[in-house]
Amino acid sequence: MTVTTTAIAGAEELEDLRLSVRSLLADKSDESRVREVMESDLGYDASVWRQLADQVGVQSLAVPEHHGGAGFGQVELGVALRELGRALVPGPFFSSVVLGAGALLAAQDESAMAAHLPGIAAGTTLATLAVIETDGQWRTHGFTTRAREDGEASWTLDGEKSLVLDAVGADLYVVAADTPHGPGLFLVESGAAGLEVTGLRALDPTRRVGRLTLTGTPAAALGRPGNGTAALEHLLDRATAALAAEQVGAARACLEMSVAYARQRVQFGRPIGSFQAVKHMCADMFTRLEVAEAAATEAARAVDGLPDAPPAGEAAAVAHAVCSEAFMFIAQQTIQVHGGIGFTWEHPAHLYFRRAKVSQLMFGGPAVYYERLLERWGV
Amino acid sequence: MTASAPATPATPASPTASSSPTASSSSIEAFVEEASAFLDEHATRRPTGTARVVWGEGEDRISYFGDEPPEVDKAKVDAARAWQRTRHEHGFGWITGPTEYGGRALSPLHDLVYDQLEAGYDVPDTGVISLIGLGMIGPTILAHAREEIKQRYLPAMFRGDAIACQLFSEPGAGSDLANVATRAVRDGEEWVLNGQKVWTSVAHHAELGMAVCRSDPSQPKHRGITAFLVDMSLPGVEVRPLRQMTGGAEFNEVFLTDVRVPDDHRLGEVDDGWRVTMTTLMSERASVGGEGAGPVERAVSRSYLTAMLEAMGLSRDAAARRRLAEVLADLTATGYLNQQSLRTLLDGRAPGPEASASKLMFSHNLAAASHLAAEMVGPRMIAETGDWGTFSWNELLLGTPALRILGGTEEIMKNIIGERVLGLPKEPGTDTKAPFRAPTGEQS
Repeated sequence: MTVTTTAIAGAEELEDLRLSVRSLLADKSDESRVREVMESDLGYDASVWRQLADQVGVQSLAVPEHHGGAGFGQVELGVALRELGRALVPGPFFSSVVLGAGALLAAQDESAMAAHLPGIAAGTTLATLAVIETDGQWRTHGFTTRAREDGEASWTLDGEKSLVLDAVGADLYVVAADTPHGPGLFLVESGAAGLEVTGLRALDPTRRVGRLTLTGTPAAALGRPGNGTAALEHLLDRATAALAAEQVGAARACLEMSVAYARQRVQFGRPIGSFQAVKHMCADMFTRLEVAEAAATEAARAVDGLPDAPPAGEAAAVAHAVCSEAFMFIAQQTIQVHGGIGFTWEHPAHLYFRRAKVSQLMFGGPAVYYERLLERWGV
Repeated sequence: MTASAPATPATPASPTASSSPTASSSSIEAFVEEASAFLDEHATRRPTGTARVVWGEGEDRISYFGDEPPEVDKAKVDAARAWQRTRHEHGFGWITGPTEYGGRALSPLHDLVYDQLEAGYDVPDTGVISLIGLGMIGPTILAHAREEIKQRYLPAMFRGDAIACQLFSEPGAGSDLANVATRAVRDGEEWVLNGQKVWTSVAHHAELGMAVCRSDPSQPKHRGITAFLVDMSLPGVEVRPLRQMTGGAEFNEVFLTDVRVPDDHRLGEVDDGWRVTMTTLMSERASVGGEGAGPVERAVSRSYLTAMLEAMGLSRDAAARRRLAEVLADLTATGYLNQQSLRTLLDGRAPGPEASASKLMFSHNLAAASHLAAEMVGPRMIAETGDWGTFSWNELLLGTPALRILGGTEEIMKNIIGERVLGLPKEPGTDTKAPFRAPTGEQS
């Protein structure tokens, strides 16, 4: 079940993409702006979202051309995600472009893709994915949310979905539910009857989450009901590979911030970075980041099906484990290098720390991702 | 491994461009064809496909450092010399070397391509000749020795006739190599060397040594150093094996007592030996790709460790599974990092700083895997019970502490990353400006 990538960007194109995303974000979404919008009602800067779509086309990168996208793959998307992670840009990018579009692609439902991918690619439709339920576990089958066939090609859903990224404000929900044929994915439109969407107080203010309550809510089947597990497994590879790119982008920002501070902060008459205790902390962060960067890169190449890449299931699972651990480690050490100032609300270190923890846990956390890695290898 | 940053060999502007007008197979395609034909004729291809470990089958000894009886050790060195000679006779002994010293004058890319090809064949391990001698001392001789010395030693080294060792570290000069105290005193056209070197790999097989000596103690420590090429058969050179914690003796102490070295064996200018030493340390080739077929690679692998999990009845043990997954995640990701470095080189681009991360991860992964294996084996690690794949891990386990020390300790590696890669300020030295002034033999 591979998604054909119709275009492969060369090194120069990738660098151009990186620079255009970086300069747009440096200009329009610096730290003070991020702080402003993360506390706003909407939670993100709608004009930055628009510019990312209109000026750079970030939302459309990995959407196939015949569905209104640029037809690139995970490698190209990863370049943009590194920058979005680096700047901790709030907004429905991961939820809509990675999870929403990813679910539509994974389910391989042509009519649903034709209906919704162009909007997601243009940044005008916001989609998200609702898998986790009240017990907080990521799973690919055994949902308590039930789908009932309600006449011809029409279904209704009952249940509760929790920890849904950017639930408030989404136009389209991809909801995982059990059917008599097995687990399936369903599309629910915002404003549907019996759909209640509530925002939750989130650990990471730059990444909003909410809850869905579905009571006899009308839904359309996405793909064949019963195929939900396979689609979710496939989506998980794409999503964790994408998350890995975002994680290493953010982790690199942490390392750069720490090194800059260690060079400039003077104690005992010399820059603290000249002390081996601090220098070695930075070297450890660098080492972990290099390995994580390699894992993220390999995962993207694998998901794109490049000929010399490892199997996507392996590379994505390795990247998810290694990048989650690395980002969390680096975010913690960033605070340590900064000392007291790193513990203040005003300093950005805590925002990276929060993002690191949320990223590490959103698909199940260490116990789940290490076990998944072994499963991918048949151990 | 050395205390230096990994060397970045000058890479050719174009992978297909030849750096020698005389080379007949300068294009990579032609070179691959020529090298494959040579290897097919002189070596056996390794079986392809994944070497799945079947628990209980095959050799179960796993050792990073050999620990063999002298005659076995000697046979291996002889085989290495013979294979190096065969390579040399067919134009693969010194792929990047100048033709006047028996080289092919091809690019580092050709060299790398050859290594990749050769890795697919079952050939003797030539590390004893190549890691230090050809890889580090050869380039130093080329850069700093007189013409007649180059003519005399370089062809012999690359033919496998002369193995070279580094007479660098001393009891008082480990991480702080510039603190060497071995004295070199000029006496007419000769120099008289006195002192003690230590941790000298391959000295017991070596015909040549490169000695870093104190020629002028009145200068600050980085100055006043002079480097020499020393014929290891000279009177006054005494090599004593140094038994390490694994029980074997891979390293040596080398005592130099009134060793008289001709001045034409000097490398570089008098008192300019630190710069010469830097050439040596910088010449270490970025180790990418790896051998992939030795007992260590076989054991520290997903296939072996998962077979072990099953064999030890731990397939459903959550704690063991978690530990295994952690080790395998790092191991696999480090493999990705190495493959990406290799791709960078094969694309004709200079490798980035990732090689220094790869080195730190290498020792980390080997240690982590050894301790994981010990945990899975449990009490059977304590003594030789005769059970396959259990006590046999003791050699690797005991060898892993060395990997964090040899060729530049982990701390020195981290200083290099911090200072050269990340641009952090150096630790202010307290002894870089003052005269060295060490009385012979009293450094500690």
